[in-house]
Amino acid sequence: MFRTAANRFLSGARHYNGNIGLRFRRPVTLITSSRFSTTENQPFSNPHSIHDAIPVSTTENPSFNDSTSSSSSSSSSSSSSDEDSRRESSKSRAKYEDEHARLLHASLTHVMKLGWTEAALVSGAKDVGLSPSIVGSLSRKEAALVEFFMDDCLQRLVDRIDTDKSLKSLSPSDCISKLIRFRLEMQAPYVSIWPEALSIQAQPVNVPTSFKQRAMLVDEIWHVIGDNASDIDWYAKRTVLGGVYSTTEIYMLTDSSADFRDTWAFLDARVKDAFNLKKTIQEARYLAEAVSVGLGNSFQRFVEKVSRR
Amino acid sequence: MALGTITKRLGNKIFPTLSSTSRLLHSHATSFGFKHVNEEEKARMVGDVFTSVAANYDTMNDLMSAGLHRLWKERLVSMLNPFPGMKHLDVAGGTGDVAFRILDNINKVKQRGLPDAFKDSLESETQMYVCDINPNMLNVGKQRATEKGYGEDGSLVWVEGNAESLSFQNDSMDGYTIAFGIRNVTHIEKVLSEAHRILKPGGRFLCLELSHVSLPIFKELYDLYSFSVIPRIGEMVAGDRESYQYLVESIRRFPPQEKFASMIADAGFQKVEYENLVGGVVAIHSGLKI
Repeated sequence: MFRTAANRFLSGARHYNGNIGLRFRRPVTLITSSRFSTTENQPFSNPHSIHDAIPVSTTENPSFNDSTSSSSSSSSSSSSSDEDSRRESSKSRAKYEDEHARLLHASLTHVMKLGWTEAALVSGAKDVGLSPSIVGSLSRKEAALVEFFMDDCLQRLVDRIDTDKSLKSLSPSDCISKLIRFRLEMQAPYVSIWPEALSIQAQPVNVPTSFKQRAMLVDEIWHVIGDNASDIDWYAKRTVLGGVYSTTEIYMLTDSSADFRDTWAFLDARVKDAFNLKKTIQEARYLAEAVSVGLGNSFQRFVEKVSRR
Repeated sequence: MALGTITKRLGNKIFPTLSSTSRLLHSHATSFGFKHVNEEEKARMVGDVFTSVAANYDTMNDLMSAGLHRLWKERLVSMLNPFPGMKHLDVAGGTGDVAFRILDNINKVKQRGLPDAFKDSLESETQMYVCDINPNMLNVGKQRATEKGYGEDGSLVWVEGNAESLSFQNDSMDGYTIAFGIRNVTHIEKVLSEAHRILKPGGRFLCLELSHVSLPIFKELYDLYSFSVIPRIGEMVAGDRESYQYLVESIRRFPPQEKFASMIADAGFQKVEYENLVGGVVAIHSGLKI
């Protein structure tokens, strides 16, 4: 009983962890803001924070980059002129991020022709009327493009989850394969250049972000199914789904069937495998219990025999 | 013991003025090294310095930095990430050192094989403007360009002009670099706002400048080197002790990294960052115009 209580407590805590992904429903801003805060520039894009005596606001800004939260938290203890300048600088920072997103969005249209390259970024910059010089200010150029695409797809998936009520009525396995399929269909047009994107994501400097993005994706999918899925460990659930997603993604690269029919069949089979695996684990546990009971009985009999002599 | 007294003496010499810099920012505008002069005088005196050192300028840079200034400039250019068809302005680059490196880099990009994106930009040719207030420095640069064969296709343009009032149109440049120059101007704020004015949206500002060292022991050594060794080298090689005395003093009067970064941000630049090289002997500041 103690164990089940502890279990429930732990799973509760873990689900809270998982919920973080749900709470920030705008992954695009989340990722860009975290990258923005890791660079040294953060305090200088907000020059007045250098002389800011209130440590709260300087720590607040980088973690959320939410203009409303930072101004509301600092308004209580700062003068009005400080507040104005801070609002101004957060506005201009928001403008920078808008331009950044606009640049990457425009660059995506050139990716089909030019690949996930600097050239696509240069063309994108020209399209939105910015000097191609801006490409030099992106620290990981190609990766920024791939990561933007991943964020964009995740956002579209989240929108779909929010609007599509029919998902709730599906069985967990159908729901999972439907969502993975929906997500993979987004990158279907890019399938010929997707290996290049995968290799960019696999570069050591880019691994942390790409891993985080995949974790968020898997997390979103599990959250649709909610608590009624199973009692497999939280990490195991996500690892298994991550595995299914990644193998299907790789399978898709070499699939030449019409509309990726083979890929979707492969996906359904893998999801079924995953759910069977869960059953297999349970059966194995029952078997182990039966065996241990049997062994215990024979041991007991053996002891009785020995003691009788 | 002897070293101790020297550093102590140096400390006495440096610290009073350092503390006054932090109190009076604008005093920099009218400082010539540690001397206080009025604005017109500063411009003239800086002009004299560069007229007298122009011929030996690059040799002296090599000697003083032990050749490191080449690496610093390479780093500056790699941060700039130049591209074919770029319109670039290098301010205070009279001897063409930075401009030649940028042109080399662009040629390398061309040789790597042109992606489609650059095809149409090729029609609008790369233009490299080198602006310097001092005609003697420009002459050295022009001479070196003809020796090395740069700018035969007309991509190099030499402009004599003041960084505080540039003769270029608004939104006309993709990039702006200033290497070891902004320290010598009379009004840093004016230079920054001019840079912001002439850059296109998306254009970048990059500044390579001798800056402040904060590592304790290294700082002492660096001060010792700059106040005792550099003026002596200047005297021996360029025959001009005063100019190099001015050089090391003006480095101390320049705003520290963080302060300068906030000045760049105040001029309207976004994504202001800086990178210290060799523990802060040199810093590269960068900003983006949106």
